[in-house]
Amino acid sequence: MLVQDIRYALRSLLRAPGFTVVALITLALGIGGTTAIFSIVDGVLLRPLPYSDPGRILRINRIGANGGLDSFSAADYRDLKKAATSFAAIAGYRSDIVDMTGRGEPVRINGMQTTAAFFDVFDAAPLLGRTYHEATDKPGANLAVINETVWKQQFGSNPAVIGTQVRLNGTPTEIIGVVPEFLRHPQKSDVWMLSPYDIPTSPFGMGDIDGSRDVHYFNVVARIARGRPLIEGQQQLKSIGDQIARDHQGNAGSTFGGEPLASSMVANVRTAMFVLLGAVGFVLLIACANVAGLLIARGAARRRELAVRTALGAGRGRLMRQLLTESVVLALVGGAPGMLVATWTQQLLISLAPENLPRLADVTLDWRIAFFAVVATIVVGILFGITPALQSSRPELNADLKDGGRTGTARTGLRNVMVVAQVALALVLLIGAGLMLTSFSRLRSVDPGFRVTEVVTVELMLPLARFNDEQQRNFYMSVLDRLQANPVTANSAMLFPFPFGGANAQASLDVIGQPDRPPEQQVSAELNSISPGYLKASGIRLLRGRDFDANDGPKSPAAALISESAIKEFGGKDPIGQQLDMGDPITIVGIVSDARRRSLDAEPRPALYLPYTQFVLPYMGVVVRSDRGAAAVASAVKTAVAQIDPDLPIGDVKTMEQIIEESTGEPRFRSFLIASFAVLALLLAAVGVYGVISFTVTQRVPEIGVRLALGASPRQVFTQVIGQGLKLAATGVVLGLVAAAAATTLVRGLLFNTSATDPVVYGSLAALLLAMAALACYVPARRAMRVDPMTALRSE
Amino acid sequence: MIRLQNIEKSYRHGLSQTFVLRRVNAEIKQGDFVSIMGPSGAGKSTLLHILGMHDSAWTGEYWLHDDPIHQLSAKDRMRLQKQHIGFVFQSYHLLDNLTVYENIDLPLSYRDVKKAEREGMVADILDRFNIVGKKDLFPNQLSGGQQQLVAIARAVVAKPSLILADEPTGNLHSDQGKEIMELFRRLNDAGTTIVQVTHSKENASYGKRVINLKDGWIVDEN
Repeated sequence: MLVQDIRYALRSLLRAPGFTVVALITLALGIGGTTAIFSIVDGVLLRPLPYSDPGRILRINRIGANGGLDSFSAADYRDLKKAATSFAAIAGYRSDIVDMTGRGEPVRINGMQTTAAFFDVFDAAPLLGRTYHEATDKPGANLAVINETVWKQQFGSNPAVIGTQVRLNGTPTEIIGVVPEFLRHPQKSDVWMLSPYDIPTSPFGMGDIDGSRDVHYFNVVARIARGRPLIEGQQQLKSIGDQIARDHQGNAGSTFGGEPLASSMVANVRTAMFVLLGAVGFVLLIACANVAGLLIARGAARRRELAVRTALGAGRGRLMRQLLTESVVLALVGGAPGMLVATWTQQLLISLAPENLPRLADVTLDWRIAFFAVVATIVVGILFGITPALQSSRPELNADLKDGGRTGTARTGLRNVMVVAQVALALVLLIGAGLMLTSFSRLRSVDPGFRVTEVVTVELMLPLARFNDEQQRNFYMSVLDRLQANPVTANSAMLFPFPFGGANAQASLDVIGQPDRPPEQQVSAELNSISPGYLKASGIRLLRGRDFDANDGPKSPAAALISESAIKEFGGKDPIGQQLDMGDPITIVGIVSDARRRSLDAEPRPALYLPYTQFVLPYMGVVVRSDRGAAAVASAVKTAVAQIDPDLPIGDVKTMEQIIEESTGEPRFRSFLIASFAVLALLLAAVGVYGVISFTVTQRVPEIGVRLALGASPRQVFTQVIGQGLKLAATGVVLGLVAAAAATTLVRGLLFNTSATDPVVYGSLAALLLAMAALACYVPARRAMRVDPMTALRSE
Repeated sequence: MIRLQNIEKSYRHGLSQTFVLRRVNAEIKQGDFVSIMGPSGAGKSTLLHILGMHDSAWTGEYWLHDDPIHQLSAKDRMRLQKQHIGFVFQSYHLLDNLTVYENIDLPLSYRDVKKAEREGMVADILDRFNIVGKKDLFPNQLSGGQQQLVAIARAVVAKPSLILADEPTGNLHSDQGKEIMELFRRLNDAGTTIVQVTHSKENASYGKRVINLKDGWIVDEN
């Protein structure tokens, strides 16, 4: 019987090509779009990490007195390792840029220096060789594990790579294993190096760091012991953190916390992802309402057929089954091109997605997604089929057999409901998109406080193994001298860190002479290392005092500039001339304008600028103000570096515009997606309005004929038809406005300087939707105007 | 076979009530061939649809064999309808997207007859009605007379004891109409009870009895 129903369903679809094509396109877009977005949400949020018992892997955070998350210090980490009994493994790691030499051309790759237990936490089986472990490998063994891509690209997939010696940041190191590509957590790495100590080495040098609790510079991951519940591990972390805070004044108010790694990686994008899934779900619902509307119209045309079937003995259940079979067959037929749409959309989304979207590499189309698509398709089939089926399966036999379904207010009524629903849903999406775009445009128009145009940045990281503090300082000073002597790069300076790059250093603002503050009231400042000329190159204004100059050398008295927003920390006194306690006293010599450092949406925080000769780090970069373009600047920097150290590659070259662009990648991506869905929803809603008005005009031809015959002007008929469509759209708009006001509270957290109930956005998009509805009514209204009364009445 | 007692049907319009059928009493015996006649709006088709159980909004008593239709649930009425009744319409009402074979097969499939059995029954009917050669054609490939022939084949395929026909020749020219009426006579001769609505005295003459309706009342019965 089912086979027969399916055969009839396919045949009836073939016999109504117009309906079928419109329905299939609508469904393919709806199912395809939803599947593609689901595949992204699945990869980013839902898919478990590819390790055994991934739920037992935690990221351990140090939670500061002010509630902020912080990295670990050496002493805290050691205390944690000693006291934690609920964990099978705890490992520290620090990301690093690694220069791999000793095999011809030096290669710069992303690396991670870890303690020995790293692969006890991430227990992926290696493709070749082995990984290092706490039980077997001791710090200082100079071992490294590389990933599959590096093995293929740099070693030509040669199995003899195991046992090979390479120099990693100048240190001779033995490659002991190759791990598969999927090992890219907590972040992507090309090489993992066993630290020479029981903690990762510090970029600040290990001398002062070894027993310090003040310098926080590395991250910690752990695996909960088998049989121990997550909550027990989390409670133990807290109690250890609390104990350390009691024992050590510097840790007062802080504690430790643990969060499953998978959720901690995506915490920042979770809301946005679910909003996107919700948005595409709306598109799918609109598509369903659209197809349901088409089916209801078709059901009206099929009333005679259904009445005949009933007269021949078909019960209501039987008719429902047949109608639902048709819907599901239609959905499945639409689902096939839907999978194609999903594949293309997913590829497009991945290419458009910001690089910093976590777990993007885990996004794939596999059986999970196929299963989702099939289930979604069947659910969609039932969803759009159920209302028309319920309605059509109860024919009014006597009347339907007589007039074959030419009348039927109730049926038009239900179709009207579908149109109102579509318009309302579309408006919610449009308003969501409007708010996102407004927010994004306001974000992009934020003045970061520094020059964005004609500024090029070049990273110049130094391998610690070859460059001590003195060598680092000399290197950077020599490079800067050469660059400033070159007309292309005359206006250049050194800087750490680049804005919006993720790297940052913090220092507590302890003004000498002011009473100590309790831990929760302490203010930290963003620490920057700059060379003379940085203010000029970056467009940051010197408000008072003096800029750094050549006299601020390594042996000169320690000097600092503060930013405008740090002034309030000086208790109403003039900051210039006052001193900060940073181990040694540092004298404030100038005040500069505020600049945003972390992101465009974060208000400028107090900032402290130190001369690069006094606070040198191996992660400096060059900032060049030049109108000669990035390529010319990169070439000049490359030449300058090569003149000093021919083995040293330069790092990433980016214009400041690119940096800003990348920093706003995530909001741009979600705004673009929601706007795309909203446009699609708008079109679908317009098709829905067009469909119902066109259908109504066809049904009302005789009535229109009578009206015209009785003296109505074509203009009156036109106005009446447009009015009918606009009445439906207006009802949808009112419902949509109410629904949007409720729904947009969900996106409030994603908006920047934009109210979730912005009246301009609401008003303009409601007007846009009404205009679109009027446009959709125009064609059927014109058709109604041209009805020939004689023909219409004759057909009656 | 059929006994109707005080059958009434009416529509309400606000406070007023319009009767379509008034106090209809009638008896139809097994093997009867009854023609219902009367002017337009007399209630002929309404009565036929009540007999066919397509309409349930009426009052009075309707007995089919010994079953009180007026007391039965919709489900039980459907069961009896499937068991006893075949329907023929003035406009044939063949389903456009089904072939002749599939149209005839349809009532059997709704009665959950097994596929092999259905094939035999449809083949038999196609043969009896001499339309084997047309079994794969769609209704729009047939003439009006052929379509009505298929519609009657569809009505009798499930071997109903009662055929209800609503102006079965209304859309046919006279020769085709005669053929169809001859067919009804043969079915009646073979034992099938037939109730038809007609405007044509000639068609009524094929039957054994005529019930005349006017304004919902039975005005004459012979």
